[in-house]
Amino acid sequence: MLPAHKKIQQPNAASKKVMVSFVVRDEHEPKHRAGINSLQYDAAMDRLFSAGRDSIIRTWNCKKLNDPYIQSLEHHTDWVNDIVLCCGGKNLISASSDTTVKVWNAHKGFCMSTLRTHKDYVRALAYARDQERVASAGLDKAIFLWDINTLTALTASNNTVTTSSLVGSKNSIYSLAMNPSGTIVVGGSTEKVLRVWDPRSCQKLMKLIGHSDNVKSLLVNRDGTSCLSGSSDGTIKMWSLGQQQCILTIREHKEGVWALAANENFDFVISSGRDHRIYITNLKTINTKLVTEVQNPVLKICPNPNFSGIWVATDESTINYYDLNEDSDTMELTDGDCNNETIVPPKMTIEGAPAIKKYHILNDKRHILTQDSQGNVCLYDVLQIKKLEDYGQIDFDEMVKEKFKLTYVPNWFNVDLKTGFLTIHLGQEETDCLCAWVNGKEIGLTTPPDQKVNYGSVLLGALLKHWRYTVMEDEKEEISKEGNSSNPPSLSNGVIQVPQHTPVIFTEVGNRTLYRVAVHDCGGPTETHILNETVPEWVREVLILKKTSKFIKISFYLLPLTEVSTKTPKRERLVANDFVQVQKIIEHVSEKLTGAECANTACPSTASNSEKTNTSLPETQTLLLDLIDILCNDQVLDPNMELRTVRYHIWKSSSDLTLHYRVNKNV
Amino acid sequence: MGGNISQLEKQIGPDNFPNNERYCGLINFGNTCYSNSVLQALYFCKPFREKVLEYKARNKQRNKETLLSCLSDLFHSIATNKKRVSTVAPKKFIARLRKEKEEFNNYMQQDAHEFLNFLINRINEIILLERNHGKPKESTNDDKQSSDEPTWVHEIFQGILTSETRCLNCETISSKDEDFFDLQVDIDENTSITHCLKCYSNTETLCSDNKFKCDKCNSYQEAQKRMRVKKLPMILALHLKRFKYVEHYNRHTKVSHRVVFPLELRLFNTSDDAVNPDRMYNLVAVVVHCGSGPNRGHYISIVKSYDFWLLFDDDIIDKIDQSTIEDFYGLTSDGQKSSETGYILFYQSRDTDTKVTHADIRANGK
Repeated sequence: MLPAHKKIQQPNAASKKVMVSFVVRDEHEPKHRAGINSLQYDAAMDRLFSAGRDSIIRTWNCKKLNDPYIQSLEHHTDWVNDIVLCCGGKNLISASSDTTVKVWNAHKGFCMSTLRTHKDYVRALAYARDQERVASAGLDKAIFLWDINTLTALTASNNTVTTSSLVGSKNSIYSLAMNPSGTIVVGGSTEKVLRVWDPRSCQKLMKLIGHSDNVKSLLVNRDGTSCLSGSSDGTIKMWSLGQQQCILTIREHKEGVWALAANENFDFVISSGRDHRIYITNLKTINTKLVTEVQNPVLKICPNPNFSGIWVATDESTINYYDLNEDSDTMELTDGDCNNETIVPPKMTIEGAPAIKKYHILNDKRHILTQDSQGNVCLYDVLQIKKLEDYGQIDFDEMVKEKFKLTYVPNWFNVDLKTGFLTIHLGQEETDCLCAWVNGKEIGLTTPPDQKVNYGSVLLGALLKHWRYTVMEDEKEEISKEGNSSNPPSLSNGVIQVPQHTPVIFTEVGNRTLYRVAVHDCGGPTETHILNETVPEWVREVLILKKTSKFIKISFYLLPLTEVSTKTPKRERLVANDFVQVQKIIEHVSEKLTGAECANTACPSTASNSEKTNTSLPETQTLLLDLIDILCNDQVLDPNMELRTVRYHIWKSSSDLTLHYRVNKNV
Repeated sequence: MGGNISQLEKQIGPDNFPNNERYCGLINFGNTCYSNSVLQALYFCKPFREKVLEYKARNKQRNKETLLSCLSDLFHSIATNKKRVSTVAPKKFIARLRKEKEEFNNYMQQDAHEFLNFLINRINEIILLERNHGKPKESTNDDKQSSDEPTWVHEIFQGILTSETRCLNCETISSKDEDFFDLQVDIDENTSITHCLKCYSNTETLCSDNKFKCDKCNSYQEAQKRMRVKKLPMILALHLKRFKYVEHYNRHTKVSHRVVFPLELRLFNTSDDAVNPDRMYNLVAVVVHCGSGPNRGHYISIVKSYDFWLLFDDDIIDKIDQSTIEDFYGLTSDGQKSSETGYILFYQSRDTDTKVTHADIRANGK
């Protein structure tokens, strides 16, 4: 017995590093945004299901191709690698790189349950129609068998399922096949062999050796007597499982074969892959004919039931339908005529949207320039989680140059483009999302005037606002006992508004998704319960315990600029917060100089008060302020420049920052 | 010691003693055998010796002492010694070395490979620095070119490794070249250098938590990676990784596995686009580690001079039989901790073996 459904992490799992991510997207995304890994066709409804790398499975109405979009099945958080339609089209099973397998109500489009048994990307599914069984396999080398009727009966309280596993694969599994009666399972892996099991007994039956590279696509015929395999070595092989040997090798493709489709009797096979070319081969006469050449590497071929045409998915977001020439039942294939017209246009098309391919984080560490697969350049605001500007097809590098600002803020988030959307990761690992402190006016805070805000905690506060509110309500009594917190209100609630549909994702190190929830759902009773157990300790500390994260300090030397260095003056070593502005150093110098002038007493300024605000300066001092220049590497600094910007853009060295000051003579 | 010297001349025989060749033992200044053994080995890497002596000849009136100037003085004093066999004290060199690198500024035993690595890199830096100093300042473009142009250190020791990574999802191969001055090879029990080099280029699968960030897929995917040699250097220095960190003991221990190193070597782990894949190498020098750990024990070197082999143990020199080399392959059983084993091997390309002219080196540098 393996626990599978909605198994929530125990609170003590907080020690495991959990990251909070969110996706920048529209509420409704009716088009795929990246490549499509798999397709399924429901003949009864004339509907097509497509599994996107954008983490979304979409349903299309093939009768209405001018406006085919029906709905999105959204719950995965990474590439959907494979889907199978089962129970006569009622249910859909999906496998994803988020390491889960999900069961869906295919008609209504909601996720019924999540199976978390795999430990790495789930790459392939296989379906035995007569038995209503599904097998899943992936990069964790494991194959699990699932009884679909059990999966669809799972409820929140009854959430364990029995699974059997097929063991023996030594490498990551990339392809899987099972015959309709469920008597044979074949797995293809980087081991370069096919391994065959009997799923009824879970016994290993045989190992088929012959390919010289990874096996990416597999089919088994109706009675489980033969098998077709497509490999990264560029060949297609037909195997006799009775004789346990390869009986045919097709060497038509120039590169890896990634997609195969055949009828259940193996009269013919349609194949494609990395070389963009789709071939159809008559397996009786071994005649191969080019169907067409497409624009991109082909990931999936999905024929309609009578094989009059095929839906083709590639690593681009558009799905195309091609007619198979004339009546394919007779399969009159002739060679030689493929050179005339290699590129046959598709008969039907389901348009996709471009994927974001490139990004550049601007120096303010708040705005991101992106470029998509069609060359469009856009500007995003991470803090408001939205697209600000669409510049169209312009030069990306030029735009990066144009948007350059002389400022420096530490990195506080990571960008991920795996789904074709902009995904932002907030964590505590290599990039500490709580390290960026900025002036409150950057996010529109006007009072108090010198308020510092932390980008990371402001954003986390906005994302988890509803959850925080619910938790705080529960703990209200405790909080009122404490009295008003003396800490600065670092969260600045309400100033930043984020789109309420934004998906928030909690991920464990190693890509295991713990939970995905929309911002507006975070306050619900079930969601709060799950969040209480999922939100990592470091986020809880910021949002609930209101712990202020540390300021980053910069140490620097400050010395007078002298024309001739007669003797090296005693260097004053100071420490200040990284966001302190040059103005504060001017004030410090002024204080120091007037102090020395007035009465030769020792200057009280020490490292710690170098950032002290100027409260009622003596008149002599204010006069002096305008006359003081602070220089770094012979360059006079703008008083509004922050110390970290000086270090990053002007000092440009890892050694201790050295600043000089000079007092300009009265003109 | 005097007896020893005459002994070597006797061993070699007056008729067989090579003209103009000098053999000088190096005095140990307190655990400096790591340096002595490497210096002797380098001295008998002929292309290197010739370049160092050439440097000495070109820089007669020098104003600044560098590690390279000290090395060239040392090599010069060996090469121009009045006696055919004698002893030299590398005092100035050691003093300079201790000044330049803090880690060597003590009387502890050091790792010979670390020293070799430091020495070669530093010499290269010095050459580049002096090349740029000698040029007039205004021609900045030329400066850039001149620092790109290989130095004679590059021409002698530098090879290129290429690492090819194939994403298992999109099957795109991306390759990256990197320069090397020596190859650091893992060793297996009862094997040969040829086997270890083959393993060096075995395909490694990047998977589970160590996936490859594929630029084409914009995501982490499994990938296959292998390192192969794209340009074979004139002198191939092989460092056998004999010191393994053992967590249990919280220190490095010696791996005394027997690894056969042949007198003639050909690399088979070359890339498809390799410049000179068929280069044949001859063994010219071996730095041998004797003892049980990296910071204990002793370093000696065996070198080939003309058609015989010599063993340098600090100031002591012995002529040895070619068959004696087998004694330094390592141990077949793991029982003993202490052993005398080949640690750094210097193979010289056969096409540069006899006569190295300036033009040859130029051609190889390309």
